[in-house]
Amino acid sequence: MSAQVPCPKCRVPLLPEACNQPEMTPCPGCRVPLQVNLFPACFRKINPGKNGEAVMVEGESSCFYHPAKKAVLPCDSCGRFLCALCDCELNGRHFCPACLETGKTKGKIKSLDNQRTLYDSIALALAVYPLLIFYFTVITAPMSLFLAIRYWKSPLGLVRRSKIRFVIAIILALLQLTGWVILFIALANGRHT
Amino acid sequence: MPNAEYQRLTRSRSRGGFAVAAVTRTSLWLGADHLLVINSNGYTETYKRFYFRDIQAITTQQTNRWKIWSVVWIGLFAVCALVLIVGLFEVAHRPMQSDDFIGFFGWGIPAAFFFIGFLINYFRGPTALVQLRTAVQTETLPSLGRVRQTRKVLEKVLPLILAAQGQLSAAEISAGLSAAIPPTSPQSEHVPPVMS
Repeated sequence: MSAQVPCPKCRVPLLPEACNQPEMTPCPGCRVPLQVNLFPACFRKINPGKNGEAVMVEGESSCFYHPAKKAVLPCDSCGRFLCALCDCELNGRHFCPACLETGKTKGKIKSLDNQRTLYDSIALALAVYPLLIFYFTVITAPMSLFLAIRYWKSPLGLVRRSKIRFVIAIILALLQLTGWVILFIALANGRHT
Repeated sequence: MPNAEYQRLTRSRSRGGFAVAAVTRTSLWLGADHLLVINSNGYTETYKRFYFRDIQAITTQQTNRWKIWSVVWIGLFAVCALVLIVGLFEVAHRPMQSDDFIGFFGWGIPAAFFFIGFLINYFRGPTALVQLRTAVQTETLPSLGRVRQTRKVLEKVLPLILAAQGQLSAAEISAGLSAAIPPTSPQSEHVPPVMS
């Protein structure tokens, strides 16, 4: 990776004088005002991946996944011995590929959590939008109620914790269902009389 | 209700510069050791984390969007105001009728709306395009749309990045950037390319 920092507009490499200035300076290529903050990571060399050393001495600890490779550390999650190739470092912790995959799919490792479904928003949308065409609520109100109850304990967004959408969705769905029940009873009574 | 884990840096904003009602919205949050970019379509959220130790550069480029929006707002205001002024001159020579009031409100309310839009855009200051660069990607941060807003965010974020990575001296920047630019030999410039 080159340490060149190009202008976002004209892609001309910026000069050192333009970097880490307190005010905006014009780009040498397109003269657009720019402010560039450079950090030491820009010039840091990326370490090449390790292959893992072969086991040289009889009885030496070997990798769980590669018995011919020397173990260098245990997995922080399952404790299996890992060679340098299988060691997946994440924020100072070391995992084997299997635990990393499990942690991602089951949401055990929070820093790998990169997508969440907002069931509270879906439940609320199902309770509110069909009100425009009221007949749809006979289907959508039970769906909204089901979603709100089914996913009540599921994690919401990373930065949102309130369950107010679930509460509003449940109240609206119950009101709609009550309305339908009253309507059906009234219709049934009207037919009998 | 404040969130203990993340602090909001920007409000949710559409990804496109001119897309006022875009479906996907993005916001920026400050974590303990990283920046969190949240892209949301209202029903799902996707997260991108930029750890302070991995950030190589943050570039802020001033854009013309501020000027273009100012011209659009003031142009629309001018059209409405012109119609109002012409109407006022016309009414001045005859008694007012009920239709005149409808006309004044019909053009006056949009004129006020466009003028307020112009004022808001003007006082929010110049627009910006902010890009965050790591070793493997260059990510545009659409939630940082103004120069002033970007400066406020950088005031919070820069000390954390510097605490994680340390400070770069002017000599280090000069040496690092100069090393990246390959020297060109004057002889090789005149050699024609070889077709293989």
